[in-house]
Amino acid sequence: MGISKKAYSALESIVGSKYISDDPAVCEGYRSGPGGYESGLGYERVMTKIPAVVVLPRTTEEVQRIVRICNRYSVPYVPYSTGFYGPRSHCHVENELLIDMKRLNDFEIDEKHMFAVVGTGVIYSPLQEEAMKRGMYVIIGGGGAQASVVANLIGDGWSPLSHRIGLPHRRILGTELVLPDGELVKMGSLAVGDDPFWGDGPGPDLRGLLRGFTGLRGCLGIVTKMAVKLLPFQPEKPMPTGIAPNTALALPEKRMKWINYQVPNKAAQVKAMFEISKAEIAGAVTKVPLFWRSIAKAECKEDFWDLWGKESEETVKNFHIVRVLLIGFTSEEQMKYDENVLNDIMAELGSQPRATKPSDESWIKNADSAGMWLMCGSYVSVDYIIETLSHATQHGEFYADLKKKYTPPLMPDYGDPGWFQSFELGHQGYSEFLVYWDQDEDTTGVDHFYVETSKMNIKNRFYTSLLGPHQPLYLTGPMYGPNYHQWLLKVKDEFDPLWVCHPPTPLAHDVFVEKAEWMKSIKDWEVPKKFPMPKWE
Amino acid sequence: MPTTQFSLDIRKLDNFAYDMSRCIKCKGCYWVEHTYMPGVRFSTRCPSNTWNDFDAYGAFGKMRIGLGIIEGKLKWTPKLLEIVYADPLCGACDVGCKRNLDLEIGLGLEAMRVKAVQDGAGPMPAHKKIAQNIAKNHNQFGAPHENRKKWLTSDIKVADKADVVYFVGCSASYVNPEIAQATAKILNATGTPFMLMKDEWCCGNTLFSVGMLDEARELAKRNIEAVKALGAKTVLTACAEGYRMWKVDYPKLLNIATSDLGFNVMHLVEFADEALKKGSLKLTKPVDVRLAYHDSCGISRLADPWTPYSGERGWMGMVNPRLKRRRGTTGLYAQPRNILKAIPGVTFVEMPRTRENSFCCGAGRGTKEAFPDLASFSAKHRLEEVREVGAEALVSACPWCKSNFAQAVKENGDKIRVMDIAELILASLQA
Repeated sequence: MGISKKAYSALESIVGSKYISDDPAVCEGYRSGPGGYESGLGYERVMTKIPAVVVLPRTTEEVQRIVRICNRYSVPYVPYSTGFYGPRSHCHVENELLIDMKRLNDFEIDEKHMFAVVGTGVIYSPLQEEAMKRGMYVIIGGGGAQASVVANLIGDGWSPLSHRIGLPHRRILGTELVLPDGELVKMGSLAVGDDPFWGDGPGPDLRGLLRGFTGLRGCLGIVTKMAVKLLPFQPEKPMPTGIAPNTALALPEKRMKWINYQVPNKAAQVKAMFEISKAEIAGAVTKVPLFWRSIAKAECKEDFWDLWGKESEETVKNFHIVRVLLIGFTSEEQMKYDENVLNDIMAELGSQPRATKPSDESWIKNADSAGMWLMCGSYVSVDYIIETLSHATQHGEFYADLKKKYTPPLMPDYGDPGWFQSFELGHQGYSEFLVYWDQDEDTTGVDHFYVETSKMNIKNRFYTSLLGPHQPLYLTGPMYGPNYHQWLLKVKDEFDPLWVCHPPTPLAHDVFVEKAEWMKSIKDWEVPKKFPMPKWE
Repeated sequence: MPTTQFSLDIRKLDNFAYDMSRCIKCKGCYWVEHTYMPGVRFSTRCPSNTWNDFDAYGAFGKMRIGLGIIEGKLKWTPKLLEIVYADPLCGACDVGCKRNLDLEIGLGLEAMRVKAVQDGAGPMPAHKKIAQNIAKNHNQFGAPHENRKKWLTSDIKVADKADVVYFVGCSASYVNPEIAQATAKILNATGTPFMLMKDEWCCGNTLFSVGMLDEARELAKRNIEAVKALGAKTVLTACAEGYRMWKVDYPKLLNIATSDLGFNVMHLVEFADEALKKGSLKLTKPVDVRLAYHDSCGISRLADPWTPYSGERGWMGMVNPRLKRRRGTTGLYAQPRNILKAIPGVTFVEMPRTRENSFCCGAGRGTKEAFPDLASFSAKHRLEEVREVGAEALVSACPWCKSNFAQAVKENGDKIRVMDIAELILASLQA
């Protein structure tokens, strides 16, 4: 059916005929799956739709005008930056408009005051390159070097480098947000002038509106421009080497170095992270899943399974690596000092450095998230939490235990407790749990596991960063609030009374559970008879 | 878990349904590989999706569209044909994907064109005209066949019998005779006897590339038989498109391995690089120019040899027997650079996007004929890089690249000189 001719004409008058299309083939190109983040899962199959129309604005003003048209003609819309974030960044209802933001790709850098201003279409690796050319750096979030800087920063935005740089919301400076009704909000110093150099502005800090803890996935407006804080780096530029797929950044050896330490046990691992943090050294301190090592060594999927097949519960249980990135931010001597301190700390814990390559394959410039799909073809990070170091490490163990019940269809990983690292010089511990499966198998178990993780977190009093837009809000809200869901829905109603902005988020997972028959067996929480939102279908 | 049989046969689009279903929209097909990302400018390597911003024009969109075709959800329309054919099939997407995912993107795109032809929708009218030209005059321009050797000058020695046969190709025979002449003179200068084909016909690149496999296969058979009849051990070409055709796509069309052709396929840059190392090629005359080199797709990321494959796919998508993926790693990246750096007086500068990350000129595989706007856009976009690094000349190793760049330079009113590497080698040879 599409959207009305009047609405289409109005949109076309904003962007011109070249940048709008309702052609079925063009719209099919914006299909969510079946591959991608949350590949082929029930959520993708049940909740995503092909857009009726796609529009590509160029400026904030065009975005505002498009959104106003959507409100005038009751056209649901979803903002879309790169589409990498799987089904949750795609259309969810029939006759929806997809606003592709890739043409908002303006970029400015203020070297003196150390920030860059990016449009929504700018991705991480060019930003990092521009920063490094000028002796600065940013975090390329775990979402990958191909992620939109804006989308990643209002959602996630962390990596092992968060050990030193810190959490993402601290790096968001002056920002422009088009509200769901088209009104423009200027945040931080942009609220009082044209210079976006500062994140705080008059009145309450509205950055919470952008991301809460991990973002609301486009249901509370569209960020069109953001100033991002850049941090001072060491002066020697790492140089790219090799031909794909075997490419890496050659590190300046006296200024940057990855070192791996095998430690005797998990307690030593946590202790090491504490001590390194207390000494205020290192650019990154992390422990990654053991199978990532097999991914790094494998030339192909079959190679991976050959390598991984040699591991066992025993080897995984005894795999206690602390991987440390040293950066001589101020001088070669500083890095040498840091290395000496590090070796002293690790020696006291009974550990010696292992030989590592003088290069970086991931995190500095190419956060290699796409490699996560190599082994199975399907992947999602089902949860990530930020807690204390000692609390975060337990989180992964609970997950690994729950996962056994759902393996298969989940990938056999011999009880690997996931990814764990220090953030903000040890003031926080980060735990992320990644799961993999073959989407050609029955994925009901993966759909169930996803929701069961919330119940596990609630039961064991773990925080979860994926409260609203990734889990049933009526399951998590009462438990984490007790009225978190009511507040979130009030905020949604206040800013988007028509619910035109990416409906039915933040109730999307609730709607999924209602629609998917196979989810009924695990639904043991209360929901209202009718969800408090307009019905779009 | 049950296994499914599949092969790399582009005659069946279904063979690539798995690859299409596993695209994750990481856009490794679109962006320059992140390790090599040069900055905010020149950040993409996909000509089609840089030309047209809708996702449908990137490989990640086309994979979804390919599935839509397989599932019968999409009908052939002018827009769908544009999406499928407005693409130089330069291989950037394929090697980009194989950085992490090993999906057969390039073959999937070729199979979509074959499907368009099978369904009676493709190719584009401009391609049909080329097919008519080839059928009638054995070249894609429709020029008189008897003019094919007009490039040959009296000072070039051609042997009656030799190990090497120089396959000139349509472009160097009719449009860029200076490339053919330079190539032949380089062979002469190194003391390498060479033959020409008795009656050279088009290599069939455009026919193959637009999905007209039957017609392309006939040319492949005819040309291969002609080489065998000559008894040549090496087919040498100075055309990147022709090189790829002989080395990769003839075997693909005939379901044989490159190693089963019965002769070697060699590009001039391989020959010249080896000759330089052996000392039979001496580059002594200074050529004072600051130049940049453009990696032509056919001799770089598309150049890995072909091996037929059929097998089964099972749990987690693992294939049996093992499949050696063509990732573009054996492309001729070093050879042209070795040559250019050996020429006295040359100041060699790299553009921001090089090797497997190069931005295609946009001319190849039927694009310039059917979508001249895209070819012009792509070449002009690449020329911005030439200006960025302050080069006076742009050197490539393919007559199709040269023609397209030269036209773009003319339209721009630029002062950039566009040259083929054969011309530059020759300039350094002549005393």
